[in-house]
Amino acid sequence: MLKLLATFKKDLLLLWRDRIGLLVLFLMPLVLVLVVSLVQNNVLQATGQSRIEVLFVDEDQGELGRQVLEIMEASQGLQLLTSHAGNILGAETAQALVASGTYQFGIVLPPGISAQFERDTRRQVGALFGFGSVQVDSVAVEAQIQLLFDPAVQGVFRTAVTSSLQYALLGLETAQKGKLLQQALSTQNLGGIPPPDAAQAQAPAQLLRINAEAAGDPARALRPDAVQQNVPAWALFGMFFIAVPLAGALLRERQEGTLRRLLILPVSYWVLLAGKLSAYVSVCLLQFGLMLLAGRYVLPRFGTPVLEVGAHPLAVVVLVLCVALAACGYGLMLGTLARSYEQASMFGAVSVVIGAALGGVMVPVYVMPEAMQMLSHISPLAWGLNGFVELFVRGGNLHDIGGNVAALLGFFGITVLIALGAFKYHSRHGG
Amino acid sequence: MRANGCDPEKMPQLWARDLTLRYPGASKPALAGLSLEVNRGEIFGLLGPNGAGKSTAIGVLCTLLTADTGEVEIRALNLRTQKKKVRSLIGLVPQDIALYPSLTIRENLSYFGTLHGLKGESLRQRVDECLALTGLEQHARRRIQTCSGGIKRRANLAAGIVHRPELLFLDEPTVGIDAQSRHMILCNLQELKRSGMTMIYTTHYMEEAQQLCARIAIMDQGQMIAQGEPEHLMAVQGCSDLQELFLHLTGRSLRD
Repeated sequence: MLKLLATFKKDLLLLWRDRIGLLVLFLMPLVLVLVVSLVQNNVLQATGQSRIEVLFVDEDQGELGRQVLEIMEASQGLQLLTSHAGNILGAETAQALVASGTYQFGIVLPPGISAQFERDTRRQVGALFGFGSVQVDSVAVEAQIQLLFDPAVQGVFRTAVTSSLQYALLGLETAQKGKLLQQALSTQNLGGIPPPDAAQAQAPAQLLRINAEAAGDPARALRPDAVQQNVPAWALFGMFFIAVPLAGALLRERQEGTLRRLLILPVSYWVLLAGKLSAYVSVCLLQFGLMLLAGRYVLPRFGTPVLEVGAHPLAVVVLVLCVALAACGYGLMLGTLARSYEQASMFGAVSVVIGAALGGVMVPVYVMPEAMQMLSHISPLAWGLNGFVELFVRGGNLHDIGGNVAALLGFFGITVLIALGAFKYHSRHGG
Repeated sequence: MRANGCDPEKMPQLWARDLTLRYPGASKPALAGLSLEVNRGEIFGLLGPNGAGKSTAIGVLCTLLTADTGEVEIRALNLRTQKKKVRSLIGLVPQDIALYPSLTIRENLSYFGTLHGLKGESLRQRVDECLALTGLEQHARRRIQTCSGGIKRRANLAAGIVHRPELLFLDEPTVGIDAQSRHMILCNLQELKRSGMTMIYTTHYMEEAQQLCARIAIMDQGQMIAQGEPEHLMAVQGCSDLQELFLHLTGRSLRD
């Protein structure tokens, strides 16, 4: 035990004195968590969680503009801006601001649009009842509202804003037509149809409504936001990077001759290995703890939601431990298979990035092509991330992450066996 | 195997017979029937050109490598069956500076001492003794990476003797250092010899071997080609010094 502790202490001391390595191990995942969470928090906001800014130019100054503004702002998806730098927006200014990418969207209501809208709906309804001298071919002249968008904006955002505008206009059109229809019916004095005011009072605002909610047990599900997903994802990425310094430490021991000295000691190599693994696993746990603290106390200062770790802290600890073991096992394997530090660091770093990409750390697995989704099953980062999503987003417990835990432990076992095999091979070859 | 009934104090400290070892894929064996005996308290010089098999021999004798055939006993303990006991008796000073560069000299010695089972006051005391012997007391708190080549070599020696081994393997312990540091190390080895430590010493510096070793063995192509006292071997071969004897026995062609 004393020998294991001595090795544990020695490896921690070596890591502590490698300040650049420490910065990479702790600062890199921290910066990644901060940057990616903040960036994606904004993306999620842009896709509907909160408000995206849209320039709104009302050159008509009529009833239609007032109502469009009211409906679109009430939808909570968009924030309409009617002025810029203290000045009321004009069509040209809006066009320039969107073209330059300062804003991504603009809506311009041309002069006379309210009157045109009123006239056209009257014509449509009048045509139905044969009022006046309305000709069929003059019915429904479409109002020309201009939607400006930054060409750099991706289609999904464009669709979201266009849909919001169309939803608002359709609502206004329907309400206007309904109003005119009621007036027309009451004018013709048809029996059984209540007067307009009474009908309005009895009808719900919307007959078919959508109730959006997360699938699964609503009592368990947590809030799915950028912080809940990115903090564990990028912490996982940082933890797997431990493979590089661990492999480097093993290679240095081999190359500098320290291993020869260690191997003639009256100590089992397993004890030395256990001491080293304990030190690196501790660093991984520390890394994860730091990421959690960042998610709870640092990110909210930049306007993101606070990270919640679910109701099963024991399950989180078990999963983090298994991820740390898997990451360290990988480093062990890398350190025994590689022939040089350069090989280990290059292959280690690139393989972790590939594993992260496949595992859904960078892009969710469900948006990947089918072949890549299949491939993602072989990434230990996917097993870890799925476990964290289960705990942090779906509100799962230890039982729910059993498969992920088993897969990570299996990976650890296999990598250690490969490392020992490679170690024996090197020993036999005098390497 | 030798008879186990003999008095271990009168037996050779190290006894090796007919050691062979061929690395996988190699065309020639690295060891081809190596036999040697090293007596208690002597410094035994193992000499040979590059590729002669010295490092492989040291590797087998200090339990790092396993010979394909042959037997080794250290203090009457069989290397194959009593490896752990043997390891508690031996020490190694490798050719490389086999220390952790970012640890201090004291931290390195304490770590290796702990792995040998030393702890507490006895560990501290033993580390202090080794630092004193190698003249490193004032450098004890310096990290290895900041030390000169000579200090590193002396620290390398100190780490090999921190647990007071009975048999010490030294693989070219004076490579690449100045005359002062080399002199210091040779004095340290003489002092260790006086304390009763047995040493197996490999070097390419013939004058060192002549100065230190009571007996030498010259190896070539995995075999022992001469063994005995340096003066006796020189006299038999009609050579005036060890350098001449070495070239006479191993030839003048390059071994690159």
